[in-house]
Amino acid sequence: MSSEEARVQAFVTAFAALRAEVEKVIVGHRDIITNVLTALFAGGHVLLEGVPGLGKTLLIKTLAEGLELSFSRIQFTPDLMPADIIGTNIIIEDADGRKHFQFQHGPIFAHILLADEINRATPKTQSALLEGMQEGSVTVGGASRPLPAPFFVLATQNPIEMEGTYPLPEAQLDRFMFKLRVRYPAIDELNAIIDRTTQSRHVTVHRVMSGPTVLSFRELIREVPIASHVRDFASTIVMATHPQWEQAPEVARRFVRYGASPRGAQALVLGAKVRALAEGRYNVSVEDIKALAAPALRHRVILNFEGEAEGVDADTLIGQVMEAAEAVTVQGKEPFLR
Amino acid sequence: MGEPQAIDILVRRVARQVRRRRAEHHALRGAFWGAAAAAALLVFKSLLGLVAVAAGGALVAAGALGGALWGLARRVDAADAARLADRAFALDDRVATALEWAARPDRTPLVDLLVADTIARVEALAPRQIVRRVIPVEGRWLPVPVLVALALVLAPAIPMPSGRLPDFLPSGDQEQKEERTASTMMEERSRPLAKDPAKRPSLEERDFAARAGAGGATTAGDLSAIFKDTALSGQRPDFNSFLKKGDERLKLLEQVDRLPDLQSDFTNTQYKMVFRKSKSLLSGLSPDISPKKLRELLEEMERLGRKGGNWSGDASEGMEALEGGQTDRALEAMQRALDKMRAMDERQRAGKNLRGGRESERGRGRDRGDGTGAEDMDFGEGEGLLPGRGRSGAPKGEASSRLRASPFDVGVEGESRRGRKDGYDTNLTGRAGSMPSRLQYLGVIGQYRKMMEDAITREQIPRDYHGQIKDYFQALDER
Repeated sequence: MSSEEARVQAFVTAFAALRAEVEKVIVGHRDIITNVLTALFAGGHVLLEGVPGLGKTLLIKTLAEGLELSFSRIQFTPDLMPADIIGTNIIIEDADGRKHFQFQHGPIFAHILLADEINRATPKTQSALLEGMQEGSVTVGGASRPLPAPFFVLATQNPIEMEGTYPLPEAQLDRFMFKLRVRYPAIDELNAIIDRTTQSRHVTVHRVMSGPTVLSFRELIREVPIASHVRDFASTIVMATHPQWEQAPEVARRFVRYGASPRGAQALVLGAKVRALAEGRYNVSVEDIKALAAPALRHRVILNFEGEAEGVDADTLIGQVMEAAEAVTVQGKEPFLR
Repeated sequence: MGEPQAIDILVRRVARQVRRRRAEHHALRGAFWGAAAAAALLVFKSLLGLVAVAAGGALVAAGALGGALWGLARRVDAADAARLADRAFALDDRVATALEWAARPDRTPLVDLLVADTIARVEALAPRQIVRRVIPVEGRWLPVPVLVALALVLAPAIPMPSGRLPDFLPSGDQEQKEERTASTMMEERSRPLAKDPAKRPSLEERDFAARAGAGGATTAGDLSAIFKDTALSGQRPDFNSFLKKGDERLKLLEQVDRLPDLQSDFTNTQYKMVFRKSKSLLSGLSPDISPKKLRELLEEMERLGRKGGNWSGDASEGMEALEGGQTDRALEAMQRALDKMRAMDERQRAGKNLRGGRESERGRGRDRGDGTGAEDMDFGEGEGLLPGRGRSGAPKGEASSRLRASPFDVGVEGESRRGRKDGYDTNLTGRAGSMPSRLQYLGVIGQYRKMMEDAITREQIPRDYHGQIKDYFQALDER
């Protein structure tokens, strides 16, 4: 077994192990857990959306327990200020009685950051995360301070309770690699939740991966080759969400105001690479792209008034866009080559 | 590292399958069009004989073969073949990715793993047909031209028209006659139906006689001229049968004349025809009235008058005057006869409840005491309606106070009414409409025209005005 093959095998094992550790605590939501881990190894951030009580926060806490990484949690409220997240300079008096400014690190300085109910804070506070999520550093008092690597933000928001909330601006949403919808568990899953949480059994989550390991896996992920027709398919999907594109499907022309950004295509391909490698494949397939199109694009497609009024579901729209993209990619080919 | 052999073999195998399917596809298309061409060729079997059958078969074969060769000759992209293989064998795009990345300089260590993995999977595959057969639209319709071609092969040859046109060139006499016949027929077609009073047999006879006289072949009143207007004239039939048929036709024409008048063309009455002839007789800026033509016209008017008109006396008087060399008197007599013809024509029109009857007719109706309707309250027609005292003895007051009093008639005396405006009918309201002109138009227009020509040559009239004056008289003439 070559070293590369060993690395790949290590990744596959680590991925499966971490998922298993999380699944010790979280019942069901296998696709959510897989996608969260995918974003972790792809170097992205995740926005979890779901009604209260579905285990969003628990999932993130469990993930943090499974990794040898620092974890901090911020409960977003309307009176939360950016300095409460980033940190601030405070006056410190030393032993000689001389006073000087010292930077007090905020909770953002952690490997894994849980931004709970992120849409309850004002846009000003929400935007405090922008630089950190994109650049991996924050600037305070004119000084740029790097965040620890890997830096992984997991935010939650409640889609129903809209009063007293501030919907995330598009620029903020675009920083999240995936937006995952946490759905209500099935009845057998609910029974398992009841059994696990109402008995005196204590579950211990083991740490299966360290920060440097995560970073090395991130490097490995980027080596996964992707065929040009698969890459073209990803690009076509992203372009097909743009109503201005000449080959955009009717559904996009009718209901979409703004299509997905290039970050959407990056997220799609990187996530597909993680998915392929996690399945033990050395290449990205069209199926990987299809599987991750909805998590990567659903928050990047901005519906227009008609789309909102018609109650168009972003996932349905992306499904139709994918069908149109498939048709575009085989356009002009002979029937036996399609 | 080049393309691994197993992957290359798989891709070539798939490409062969694609070419085979493509050859089938295009062979069907070629066969269809070849069969269509063969069917078109077999239509001319009578001209080409067995060559058409052989050529038709060759066309079908050539079409199919050409299509197949075209399908085989076209290159199949290796990436397409690899993609097909991936899809068919559920290889998750391994073959396409390995094929693409194996030759790339920026290949990563994972590519070697990918290639090895792909080779292992490809070697484990059992070869099978993976490219689906696609039957083109032409293929579905192929039986149609094939069956048509077969039917044409088995059916007797379709006779073709000969390439040489039949000899329609007549001899010199025939040519002259046919030319005249054609022109006569055209005139006949343009004239009204036989039931029209203006097209009675006598008039037809007269017309034909005149035209025959112009050709110099027949004399006036020669009834045989009518037969020369038939298509039978060129067929040299028995002359007796012609005569017999001609008699029958004349009888039919007379019967038609007695039939109920259901389809008459009232725009082309006897009066109008005669009027047109008189107009053509007097047309031109310096009409040189032919006594012969004038006599013919008067004779025709006299004959028409004997058949139910009251103008035969005037026509006779005109003929007498003409014989005495008094052309002006003859013209005046002709004008009177024309007036009477017009009056009768108007009466007939009024009797058929046609619009455009003379206003005098309505005036007469009022004289009978029934003109009390709002539409008949037309002023200026008949006695008692002029300012002053009328027949009723009631004063009518000032004319201006009555003008436009009726909502149905807002005309003034001498004003042209709305409605029918024939070229020769002034259609005036009031007294002017009911009274005959003291100077007959046809009698004086020639004199006036002559005076005009003398005037523009004698008087110092600017040259530019000459044309305008002549145009004015020309316009009068066209009425």
